[in-house]
Parts: sequence; structure tokens; C-alpha cells
Amino acid sequence: MTDAPSTIAERSAEVLVRSTPTVIARRVRGLSDRAIAWLFITPTIALLLAINIFPLIWAVYLSFTNFRANRPNAEITGVGLRNYQRVLNDPDIWIAMQTTAHFVFWTILLQTVIGFSLAYLIDRKFRGHAFWTTVILIPMMLSPAVVGNFWRFLYQPQIGLFNYIVSYFSGIPPSSFEMLGSVSLAPWAIIIVDTWMWTPYVMLICLAGLRSIPDYIYEAAEVDRASAWRQFWSITVPMALPFIMLAVLFRGIENFKMFDMVMLLTGGGPGSTTEVASITLKREAFESWLTGRSSAFAIILFVAVFGLANIYVKALNKVKQR
Amino acid sequence: MAEVILHGIAKTFGDAAAVDDLSLTIKDGEFVVLLGPTGAGKTTTLRLIAGLERPDKGRVTIAGADVGRQSPAERDIAFVFQQYSLYPHLSVYDNLAFPLRSPARRLSSDEVDHRVREVARMVRIDHKLENRSTRLSGGEMQRVAIGRALVRRPAIYLMDEPLSSLDAKLRAELRLELKRIQKDLNSTLLYVTHDQVEAMTMADRIGILSEGRLIQVGTPREIYADPANLHVAARLGQPHINLLPVDLLPGASAPTGARTVGARTEHLEIATAGAANAEVDWIEHLGDQNHLHIRVEGHKIVTLADPYLSVKPGDRVSLTLKQPLYFGTDGERLR
Repeated sequence: MTDAPSTIAERSAEVLVRSTPTVIARRVRGLSDRAIAWLFITPTIALLLAINIFPLIWAVYLSFTNFRANRPNAEITGVGLRNYQRVLNDPDIWIAMQTTAHFVFWTILLQTVIGFSLAYLIDRKFRGHAFWTTVILIPMMLSPAVVGNFWRFLYQPQIGLFNYIVSYFSGIPPSSFEMLGSVSLAPWAIIIVDTWMWTPYVMLICLAGLRSIPDYIYEAAEVDRASAWRQFWSITVPMALPFIMLAVLFRGIENFKMFDMVMLLTGGGPGSTTEVASITLKREAFESWLTGRSSAFAIILFVAVFGLANIYVKALNKVKQR
Repeated sequence: MAEVILHGIAKTFGDAAAVDDLSLTIKDGEFVVLLGPTGAGKTTTLRLIAGLERPDKGRVTIAGADVGRQSPAERDIAFVFQQYSLYPHLSVYDNLAFPLRSPARRLSSDEVDHRVREVARMVRIDHKLENRSTRLSGGEMQRVAIGRALVRRPAIYLMDEPLSSLDAKLRAELRLELKRIQKDLNSTLLYVTHDQVEAMTMADRIGILSEGRLIQVGTPREIYADPANLHVAARLGQPHINLLPVDLLPGASAPTGARTVGARTEHLEIATAGAANAEVDWIEHLGDQNHLHIRVEGHKIVTLADPYLSVKPGDRVSLTLKQPLYFGTDGERLR
């Protein structure tokens, strides 16, 4: 045997070729590259169609009907745009939208400011910065269910650590306030948890931005007698801005549809003070069983997020092109 | 402008000595080029003067003052980096104005405008002042980078291979412009390169660096014609100097101890008549001149030849040495 395969790779390739049934081998060999490419992506596309695109189209269809999912046998009749009309004229839904906007605004503001500051500190490459990066990232790695549950304990007025710490620094008795039970504090309780959990994510993206700025630009600025303050505003911020904006986009989309944390912490209460749009949607769909109307609401939310995100991405591209 | 003196500076990174006991005086208004291969310590030397690195040993004085404790901003220097270190979100105008707008300088906006436009004309970028710095070609970016150094009137300009990333034509153009500008402004300039042509054409004096040590300093003429050792001789000359055993060719009158003969084109005499001792191997036609590849007893020699010299590969020729350079066993020059 003079042409025996020598390396392990060649040998295993040989084994693979021999073990492939001749029929398949012959058939694959006859296909064009394009056909093979389709062969590979078809299963994924089929799955996407089945679990993403079809339900979306189905929801659009349902939004024009009076369908109720708890009465699957009732006759489905088309109602035209009435569902949309009702949703847009419902004052409760507008209140939920306001709550959502308030929530999105404050979480993004806090997460961006704190996340960027942390990234800026970590980027100084002090001793042990890799260790601290890992520590900071831990909240992001936890499941929202876990986070929700343990913050419920932290917020517990009698035994909660959060209340205890606040009282330690401010002198207010720990059981005198209820983060989750008070109308004025409950929205902030959720904002605090979301910020705690997702600031590391913003930090990570900002850190990537800061690391992409080459050292020699700072050195040039230093030689040009730019103060640290001027370097920050004329180099660091403009050059990291596309990254910051990207983080804001991701968090914005995510928090617009915020559901799990609110559900776990307050369930929308007390009253409806923390009832964000997705909670209202869930109530309409699975408590009132107004499937058609809630579908219309879902479509409206989707179009709103999609539209806002598109406008934002245009702005982002403009910043990137500068 | 001022005199800059390095007193025995040294810098090590880990185990590697980047700069080793280097002393050099750059006189007021002088254009000094540090020439050496990659890793010879050229860039580190510049960064030590700029204050971007701190020396382990030695002192740097600018205009007579020890600047050892000063930050780059406090030292009166301008630096052009090898990469185009422009501020990417600013226009060409704002890039040029950036150093002047430092609060430490307290220049009026009229003064800034005047200086920026003057320098833009000097580096021929005045037609693109409003462009974003990222929308420029490589050559234009480097002009802006050089311009940003020139808007200031520092004690010394430090330039780290500013032309290395440009194409040959632009490099030749900017080389001339840079020399012209330096002469016009009568500025002190320390320039680092591995390109012997840049060194020979621009420098008042060249310093040859190798492994962190300054081997020889002198005018381009001195460095070329009178190299201190084999290393310096090998850095200059196109084609490269031919290094041959002492007794290979006739015409040598070697001093005692000489082991190697260094022969450039001007040290070789080619004759087609007479007793042949060499054979033409190959001829490269460059147009205005030819590179002649000649073989002598297994040694290869490359020399320039008149394109009208009528030889072809395979021809036997007579080679004679004419006052070549001699080097001892340690590589030092013997005179």
C-alpha cells in the first residue's frame, strides 16, 4: 500500500467516505453548491416558519375577528378594524403604555450611565480587572425567575436585606416602607432590579467600544495637551457612541416588552401602578379571553417597537458614518 | 526651537533592552534621522523623548532643562505617529486646530484660524479643510497628521515613520515637502525610519541604531562613505554592499587583520578585456541602469552598470577592486 492515508485527518475522512451509503454519496455528488446550501438551511427555515412566522400571521388574522380562545367551538366572525379601534380608545391601555414608557426611560438612563461608568473604570486595566469583570457579569447570567424571587426576599419589609441597608444609611425603620407594596415605590423597585440585572450587559457592550479606541489616539491627544476631561469628551465619548447607542437599542427593545420581572415581583400591582403593556396584554388574552382584541393590541405593540427601532437604527447608522 | 540632549538613556521591556545607554545631541534647527531595522529601539527612543515612556536610566534635556519629571503635555514637543492618529469624528480643520485649542495655550480664535489655514496650505490640504478626517485618502490623512504637529512651534518635532504606510510616489513627494518645510521653519526634527532613502535625502545627520545602541552618527555622506563597521555599511547603498573575502579580487591592499572587503559599485571596476576572473550570471534591466549579477568562485556580487555596457549572461569579465572598505574579524572597520 503506497497510497495509504497517513495523517489522522486523512484516515478519518477515508472512514467517513466509506461509511456513507453509496446511494446518498452519489446523490449528493450530483447536486449543485446552491442545492446543497438549500439542503442545509431548509430545516431551519421550516422551523422558523412554523414557530415564528405562522403564529405572527395567525395573530394578524385573529386581530380582525371576535375569536375567544376559551370558546374554541364558537363561530369566528370578522369584525374589521373594531378591535384596533377599541384598543386605541381604551384609557387603561394608554395608562399601561405610559407606565411602560416611564419604565423604559429610567432603566435605560440608569443602565447606560452606570454601565458606561463601570466600563470606563474596568478599561483602566487595574490589577484584577478581569476578576471584577466576571463578578460584575454575574447578575446577567442568572435566570430572571431566580432574580425575581430573591429580590422579593431582599425587598421583604421585616427580614429583607434591602430594607435593612436603606435603614442603616438613612435611619428610617426597615419595616416602615414596602418596596413592592407601595404605590409610589413599586415602579422603582422593578427599575432597581432590572438595572441590577442588565447594567452588566450594557457595560460589556460599552467596554467593547472603549477597547476599540486605539491607544495612540490618546497618546496623540496627550502630546497635544488635551486634558483628561477634554480627551474624555472629544475622543472617548464620540468614538464609543455607536456602541452606547447599540446597547440602548437592545435594552430599549427588551424593556418595551418587559414581562417576567414585573410578573414575578408585583404582578402589575399594587393596583395597576406597575402594569406595563405586556401585563395588560396577558390579562386581556388569558384572563378576559379577548383573544381577537389582545391580538390587535399585540400587533400595535409590535408595529410601535418596530417603527421606533427603525428610526433609531437610522440615527445609529448616521453616527457610525461620521 | 531648541537643543535636545539624550544622556545615556536606557529602557527595558521585560527582559529585552529596547534602548541601551544611548547618548545623542540634536542641535537647534537640525534634522536628525534615526535609521535602523524593526526592533532596533527607534520608536522607543522617540517615545522616551516625548515622555510617553519613562527611561530606566539616563536623562533627557530639552532646551537645557531636565524633563524627566514632566508629562508629555508639559514637554514642548510635537509627535507624528506611524498610524494616522487623527480624531475620526472631527473635520480636517478641527483636527488641525485641536492642539491650538488647548486651554493651556490661550490662543484667540483668529489666531487659531490663521495658523490652521497657514499650515493647511503648507501640507497642501487646504482644499479639504471641511472634510471629515475619515473621508480622506491615506496620503491626505498623513498630511493632516503632520500638519497637526506643524501648527505648533514646539522645541522639537518627533516623527515615527510617518511616510511608511504611503505608496512610493506619495512618499517621494512628501519627503521633499517635509524637508522643505523643515528648512523654511528652521525646526529641530528627530525622524525615525528604516528607509535608507528617506534618511539619506532628508537628514542633516543620521544616527544608525542597532539593538538599542547608537552605532554611528554622522552626515549622510560620512555614514555612507566612511561606515564604522559592517552593520552600518550594510544599512546603506543600493544595491547592497558586497561582502567578500580579502583575497578574492585583485586590487586590494588590505591592512593587517582585515578579513572582509566591502565593495559597492564605486569600489568595483569592470573590464570586458584583460584576464577574466568573473562570470556574468544575470542582468536586471531597470531602465536608466542595470543590476549586474556576477559570480566569482562561488561568491555572488551585485553591482550597478551602465545600461550600454555590452555584456550578456555567460560573458567572462575582469573585476578589480578600487579602494574598497576593509573590516576586521569583529566586523569593525579597518582603515
